[in-house]
Amino acid sequence: MTVIEDLAPPPEVEVKPRGISRRERWQLRLPLLPALIYTIVVTQIPFLVTLWYSFQSYFWNTPAPAHFNGVANYKAVFTNPAFRGALVRSVVMTATAVIVAMILGVLLAVLLDRKFLGRSIVRTLIITPFLVMPVAAALVWAGPMLDPQFGLVNWLLQPFGVHHVAWLSTHALGSVILVMIWEWTPFMMLIVLAGLQSQPAETLEAAKVDGAGAFATFRELTFPHLRPYIELGILLGSIYLVNVFDQVKAMTQGGPGTATTNLPYYLYQQVNNAFDIGGAAATGVVTVILTIIVATFALRMFARVFQFEEA
Amino acid sequence: MTATATATATAVPVRDREPAGLRVRRMSGQVGWAVLAWVVGIAFFLPVLWMVLTAFKPESAAQTWPPKFVFSPTLAQFRLVFSGWGPYVTHSLIATTVSTVLVLALGVPAAYALSVHPVPHWRDGLFFFISTKMLPIVAVIGPLYVIALKTHLLDSIWVLIILYTAMNLPLAIWLIRSFMLEVPKEMLEAAELDGAGRAREMTEVIMPVISPGLVSTALICVIFAWNELFLALNLTTTNAATLPMFLISSVPQEGLYLAHLSAAATVASVPVILVGWIAQRSLVRGLSMGAIK
Amino acid sequence: MASVKFVSASRVYAKDAPPAVGALDLDIKDGEFMVLVGPSGSGKTTALRMLAGLEPLDGGRVEIGEKDVTFVPPKDRDIAMVFQNYALYPSKTVAENMGFALKMQHVPKADRERRVREAARLLDLDDQLLDRKPKALSGGQRQRVAMGRAIVREPKVFLMDEPLSNLDAKLRVQTRSQIAELQRRLGITTVYVTHDQVEAMTMGHRVAVLRDGQLQQCDTPRQLYDNPVNQFVAGFIGSPAMNLQTVPITDDGVQLGGTTLPLPAAVSAAARQAGLHELVLGIRPEHLHLADGSGELRGEVLLVEELGADALLHVRLAGSGDPVVARAEGRKPPAQGQPVTFNVQTEDVFAFHPETGARLAG
Repeated sequence: MTVIEDLAPPPEVEVKPRGISRRERWQLRLPLLPALIYTIVVTQIPFLVTLWYSFQSYFWNTPAPAHFNGVANYKAVFTNPAFRGALVRSVVMTATAVIVAMILGVLLAVLLDRKFLGRSIVRTLIITPFLVMPVAAALVWAGPMLDPQFGLVNWLLQPFGVHHVAWLSTHALGSVILVMIWEWTPFMMLIVLAGLQSQPAETLEAAKVDGAGAFATFRELTFPHLRPYIELGILLGSIYLVNVFDQVKAMTQGGPGTATTNLPYYLYQQVNNAFDIGGAAATGVVTVILTIIVATFALRMFARVFQFEEA
Repeated sequence: MTATATATATAVPVRDREPAGLRVRRMSGQVGWAVLAWVVGIAFFLPVLWMVLTAFKPESAAQTWPPKFVFSPTLAQFRLVFSGWGPYVTHSLIATTVSTVLVLALGVPAAYALSVHPVPHWRDGLFFFISTKMLPIVAVIGPLYVIALKTHLLDSIWVLIILYTAMNLPLAIWLIRSFMLEVPKEMLEAAELDGAGRAREMTEVIMPVISPGLVSTALICVIFAWNELFLALNLTTTNAATLPMFLISSVPQEGLYLAHLSAAATVASVPVILVGWIAQRSLVRGLSMGAIK
Repeated sequence: MASVKFVSASRVYAKDAPPAVGALDLDIKDGEFMVLVGPSGSGKTTALRMLAGLEPLDGGRVEIGEKDVTFVPPKDRDIAMVFQNYALYPSKTVAENMGFALKMQHVPKADRERRVREAARLLDLDDQLLDRKPKALSGGQRQRVAMGRAIVREPKVFLMDEPLSNLDAKLRVQTRSQIAELQRRLGITTVYVTHDQVEAMTMGHRVAVLRDGQLQQCDTPRQLYDNPVNQFVAGFIGSPAMNLQTVPITDDGVQLGGTTLPLPAAVSAAARQAGLHELVLGIRPEHLHLADGSGELRGEVLLVEELGADALLHVRLAGSGDPVVARAEGRKPPAQGQPVTFNVQTEDVFAFHPETGARLAG
């Protein structure tokens, strides 16, 4: 057996983590650049131009060129009851539609989670409202469905004592919200259904063996499991619904009066009816700022919601 | 001790030993559930059914009280629609397909750079893209009009193509990324060991695996581009007007043309409805930006 | 605590396919630890689920404590089940998981907490784990929580569906003995499903071997080992497996390893009565005694597996096809390629019908 004589400590070696070289860094970035540059140019430039015009007085139906007018446009926005009205209406329409659509979506998802004869056909029928072109759907609702004289809805509601109601005059906001709900409930249902079907069957069986009935199982197990899906649905639904325009344009044109004018339609009117680029720009900037505030919360929630799928 | 199956088989099948009350409750529960589901399904579908039905009516039959369910169908409305829709549908087709191709061309490399071989700060990149989706395009429509005017893009199909691409790109990137993340890591490592460079890796490993995902992404982009109204309305008039514009304009100020508009609505919606029916599963994934598989 | 009975219980999935469980008759005594063992597809899990009420019966009935529970829903059967993947409630803490069934029974909170703590102590679950959610636990901890959830209920019957299969080997051995010890202490009738015959042999009072939905044999581990009723049971129980070879019958016995092995009289008689010209011979590895060149059976060593205390020799016997496995002393095993000889005692030899697999003269 040999004896090790030299027991000097090993020399100190400095271990540094290997960084990414510059070349490698650009290699990684390259594929991203086309999409990134394109998006920046197409989305940020209009915004910068909007910012520019928001400080100008510019009406494009007059020959007068644009000239600087400071924060006058912004003052107009904040003092204008029309803007405030549109904002409130946007919030009301979005919140009502999202909440009702989600509640219905949960109920429908529970309904479709169980096997029954023709289940896939029923599912296909229910998602159709979401697939119809929004303008088309809105026009069909405005005409053949809700028309005061010839509409199907009035005929269906006759046994309930309803007579030739002019829905788009007397219940304009409700009608528009109804169509929004009709179109977006399937979306909520699909998301919640995905959540229901991702519950491991074993866990539900364990609950059965542990003595939980149908309601108890839903309350204690299914609903907590569905929470991230419901949050995702509400988040995505709100993003899509706050920008709704087609239904307002096709059904009521913002009316009667301003009863159904939401923020998108209000902006449209500023550009098309008032030809007020400056004012529209200022309104736009304010809208964007409000959206950023809401979006910051939303983005944080989005990140959390995406963790659960990637986990 | 050994046991064998000396069949003392109960002669009465299990079904007939089920207590009567239990059986009634079980069966009526099943039937009731199915009935409820069908009622709800038909209720949701009813407006669509009514739309298609009305499309086959002569205008006189569409404007009746009570509404007619039985009538002699005609294709006159469809003929009217088809005679008028030519340029509109062409513009819709061009804007939709070209923008979707562009979205895929830009989106696939971008998704690659945010998933398989992520850039530093990839999270920031992802959130930049989704933030553009959250900012309402409506806010910048005025200045956008002016820009389009000054660059001579107003009322040209290109302004729609450019904007639709920007509209769908973030969604596509998130979606394609979610598909790329599903490529098994071992497959990529095996390719690397076999000497595949980045390009080879993309074409021979990644693309084949995600091609169904690319199809779903394309379908979602097509749906959103095809149905888009706001931008088309504000930035085009005659030379690039799309199908949604055709629908809006088929509602004249004077008079009511319920049957005609139903036919137009039906024709405009059928492609997307069929696509959506066939690709139901991809629909959920697409709408949730890849969050839900 | 109660007895469990399967009376001609059947489960059929497809009309023309063989049943998943075919007319199972099994009598489990009160307080017994009964293991259902078999390869995958044998119907053991289906039978367990029929007992739980998670699968309906297509024939026969199931009894718990002398009462017909065939139509009783799972929650009213007073059973507790440990699932293969634990099926813990992800949104609830460990304490809430374990107390869930009691909550469903409206047991007052104080009682619930006491029983949960007791069960946790019994299973060596730290107090601090009680407030964690399942995803923050290790595999072994989750397994214990799943067991705790069952124990807390003090049910009539424990049902366990391969609870150890997701654990690593060392943990498995440890937990195996813990479960057996626990059952002994609590005395609750337990029906345990596994595909691992080592678990079956070490844990069960009695073991029921299933294959393709049919019960092959239900006996104590010792009896299954010493007196298998057919070829399948003989080959399934025991590790390494019993050597089984088809051998021709001669006037004096059977041909094997270059020699004629005599058969027990009863076996010869049974073979003659059945008109057989060959049979399947079964010899356990430890019954092939290595002899120093003077043994009856001759062969050549193909492979030596040294296990420390023993060695397993893979030997090709003269004149036959498949190699046999023999157990030898670990200290100085023969080398690979070496010719060896074996002796075997006549009473250690099993014989099975070449077609039906039934034991000849058991």
